[in-house]
Amino acid sequence: MRNNEVMTKIICFAFAIFLAITGCSRLEDENSKSEAIDNTEEVDNYYLERPEFFSFKTLEDLPADLKWTSGDDLSEIGSEKAKKGGTEYRRLQDFPRTLRTVGPDSNGSFRPLLNDYVTISLAGTHPDEFDFYPGLATSWAIDRDSKTVFVRLDPNAYWSDRHPVTTEDFFFMFFFYQSEYIVAPWYNNWYGTQYSNITRYDDHTFSISVPTDKPDMASRILGLRPVPRHYYYDLADNFTEYYQWKFPPTTSAYTLDTEKDLQKGRSIKLRRNQDWWAKEKKHFRYRFNADTISFNVIRDSSKYFETFRRGEIDLFDLTLSEDWYEKLPNDAPEVLKGYIQKTVFYNQHPRPTYGLWINTNQKFLDNKSIRVGIQHASNWKLVIENFFRGDYQRMQTSSDGYGEFSNKNIRSREFNLDKAQAAFSDAGFKKRGSDGILINEEGDRLSFTVSTGYERFKDILTILKEEAAKAGLELIIETLDGTAGWKKVQEKKHEIHFLAFAVGLEMYPRFWETYHSENAFDKAFLDDGNLNPNRKVKTQTNNLELLAIPEMDRMINSYRGSSDKDEMIELAHKMTQLHHDHASFVPGFIQPSYRLGHWRWLRFPDHFNYKHSRSSTQLFVHWIDEEMREETLEAKRENKSFPARVRVFDQFAENP
Amino acid sequence: MFISNPETRRKISRFKEIKRGYYSFLILIGILILTSFCELISNSRALLVSYEGNLYFPTYSAFHPGTDFGLDYPYETNYRELKQKFQEEGTGNWVLMPPVTFNPYENSAQDNIFRPSAPSIENGHYLGTDTTSRDILSRLIYGTRIALWFALAFTLSVYLIGIIIGCAMGYFGGIFDLLFQRFIEIWSNIPFLYMVIIVFSVVPSGLPTSARIMILLSVMVLFSWTSMTYYMRTETYREKSRDYVSAARIMGASTGRIIFKHILPNAMSTLITFVPFTVIAAITAITALDFLGFGLPPPTPSLGELLKQGTSSLRTAPWIVISAFGTLVIILTLITFVGEAIRESFDPKKFTIYE
Repeated sequence: MRNNEVMTKIICFAFAIFLAITGCSRLEDENSKSEAIDNTEEVDNYYLERPEFFSFKTLEDLPADLKWTSGDDLSEIGSEKAKKGGTEYRRLQDFPRTLRTVGPDSNGSFRPLLNDYVTISLAGTHPDEFDFYPGLATSWAIDRDSKTVFVRLDPNAYWSDRHPVTTEDFFFMFFFYQSEYIVAPWYNNWYGTQYSNITRYDDHTFSISVPTDKPDMASRILGLRPVPRHYYYDLADNFTEYYQWKFPPTTSAYTLDTEKDLQKGRSIKLRRNQDWWAKEKKHFRYRFNADTISFNVIRDSSKYFETFRRGEIDLFDLTLSEDWYEKLPNDAPEVLKGYIQKTVFYNQHPRPTYGLWINTNQKFLDNKSIRVGIQHASNWKLVIENFFRGDYQRMQTSSDGYGEFSNKNIRSREFNLDKAQAAFSDAGFKKRGSDGILINEEGDRLSFTVSTGYERFKDILTILKEEAAKAGLELIIETLDGTAGWKKVQEKKHEIHFLAFAVGLEMYPRFWETYHSENAFDKAFLDDGNLNPNRKVKTQTNNLELLAIPEMDRMINSYRGSSDKDEMIELAHKMTQLHHDHASFVPGFIQPSYRLGHWRWLRFPDHFNYKHSRSSTQLFVHWIDEEMREETLEAKRENKSFPARVRVFDQFAENP
Repeated sequence: MFISNPETRRKISRFKEIKRGYYSFLILIGILILTSFCELISNSRALLVSYEGNLYFPTYSAFHPGTDFGLDYPYETNYRELKQKFQEEGTGNWVLMPPVTFNPYENSAQDNIFRPSAPSIENGHYLGTDTTSRDILSRLIYGTRIALWFALAFTLSVYLIGIIIGCAMGYFGGIFDLLFQRFIEIWSNIPFLYMVIIVFSVVPSGLPTSARIMILLSVMVLFSWTSMTYYMRTETYREKSRDYVSAARIMGASTGRIIFKHILPNAMSTLITFVPFTVIAAITAITALDFLGFGLPPPTPSLGELLKQGTSSLRTAPWIVISAFGTLVIILTLITFVGEAIRESFDPKKFTIYE
């Protein structure tokens, strides 16, 4: 009896605590929503306090002698055969951690589908002709003397919530990206230092200036994408949490209803905006064709493949040789019967930087001789021959594929056991232990952890490990899932990490992000220029090598400040050389093409894709033919066949 | 003391009578002993090398660089090539290789392309190779060893903790029993898989494989000992109230002596019938964890990892999944037979018929 009383009391108490907790959180929730923040004043003051950056003029002030261009004469993108409609089924490896496109965790693989690939910039770079075609701007004038681009916005451009896109959205873009609310230091820096002024002439006319007349000045400005002013009235410190799962108005053809289209952890649907402002425009009318794009999370690659093979996913990247040659060989029944088509497309694009990123802030790895040894002990030739069946090529530097900006005199260090041994013995690792791994006089073993977030490439690391053991170097492999791997390098906890940065289509490589000491440490150097012994590692940046060399910093600064193309080329070559000499990045491989398998109802233009396309779906020139889907599925049931199609598009192939 | 008990001896002889279980037991012991020496069965190092009059035993010794045998490289000798070379030279040097001439870690691509190759006697891969051209038989042998020893260590630890705590709970009873029961109820509700994932996300990756295996073992034991305590507790409760325990207590026997000398042997029979099934659970758990990627760190050979590879290349290389699955089935079946036989022989109703 007494026990019962005690129990009842305990239960009541627990219930009270539960109520208190849930009650509190609900209260907080309401607070954050109902607190009507209106930042009009804050934003206006921000503009007023920085008159040199935010200027207000009238149309009369617009220089008269400007040469306006519109890019209208550039060829159309996409095929006139494209049909609108249908549902495209795709796979997501991991559910995105946020729908924000800035701030913590926003730089995931889904971001391009929320921003980079789908939203419309002022003008786009034509994927064949490398010139500008009109986007949000109808015309623009580039004035190199004043380092300014003048822009006339399309008066018919509006956001997905029917608000017109105006000059105000571009003003606000700078406020947004420069503000601390978004917790994105890279954006703060980029939008704070790489642009110097925005001037309003009227609602649809403005100009943006850059501090230096860089060779690609125009694309820096015309590539800008506005931020909806009318949506972010409540921008405040809670930005990262409050906007975690919000979908802001967009200029893109695809929108997302967070109530209906988002099943957290499982699937996302993007829907085509039937009322899209750019649907009749010359360079957009044959693109963004599918009515719905349905993304389902399938973590396991083999499950992904089986789902594709059943026809529940429309497309599968056959990047790996194993997939191309064995899983879906040219004589697979689906291919022979023409249900699934295989395509190789040679593109021209700066290549993702697949390689080993060595953390030079770790014990032993701060020793250059060891790093050189690791370079010579990494057998990429064998990886390319054995794993990629010779379809790939060795990467030479971390900035390959930028034309004259790439230093073509540098060759990556070859696999050479003698050179590796010599380098390791310079660092004191002279003797082999009983297991064949080198040891130094203190008895330390030459052993490092190679981590990666790429499960599909883990066999590459196994090959490297076996080969490195010949040189007396032990590599311990750690395969993490994608998000965990990325977190590890962002927190700079790796020793050696295998990953690639996707690179945008740009005229010249960037160095600041990956090699400037500012992105490696807080206070990397003492006032006398020596390394600061108390330096603190800076996390959440892309300087994965923790590279801090004063000379590199100086060159990066002049590179960023330079407007002379020749000088920039020279600097780029010197920096690439310095980086090569530092030996903290082991260049891996490059893919000269992309290849895929797709069901025949997923259709592409006759020339398949564009010279500077990064992937088959990046430009959204494909379309879904629902009738063909019916036809194919029926043929599959009745065992009828179509002509087999395995195609190679090498019109843009570069010589190796 | 336990074996000499006539009751126990009867049980053992009964166990021996159940041929299926008994032979399974012998086979298992055989496998256990055999795999303890798998370096002699499957290895890229030779068992014996005779070079210029000297005999070398590379299996358990420090590594021999190629230069030791007149080759021109400073890294580990490739004994398969050495054997061929010696045979071609015909100078009286010879190499004796183990039956499987591959170690579980090496990639030995036949045509320089890393892909699964089908079983073949000719190239020495009797069960074929996995997706990175590693010998499957070799990985199975080493994987089985790890799984078996892991399972045994797991069972032993779980029983040790379970018996001690369960006996204490049953013997002392009262508030101790009450508190511990509540604690166990809470503890057993912590999801074990999440704990493994969490623990492994904070374990530094630089740790040697053996340390990581030990951590995995500790985590698994930590969350698995609870179920044993229930059986031990009830058994002890029952035995405690028997006259012989009271007698022992009156004669002045210490608590430890009463528990371990008097109660435990009598409570044991229930426990022993559970042992094989705990071993099965452990093997299944470690395999499942490996399959999910949270088990033994790669590239440690393991059945789960092979199963995973097998399922992802089911169409292109069915031999991977067949070998791994087959091994798992054989081992689990053997243990189940042993388990059934033990249960039967410990059954107090002696006249049940074992089929």
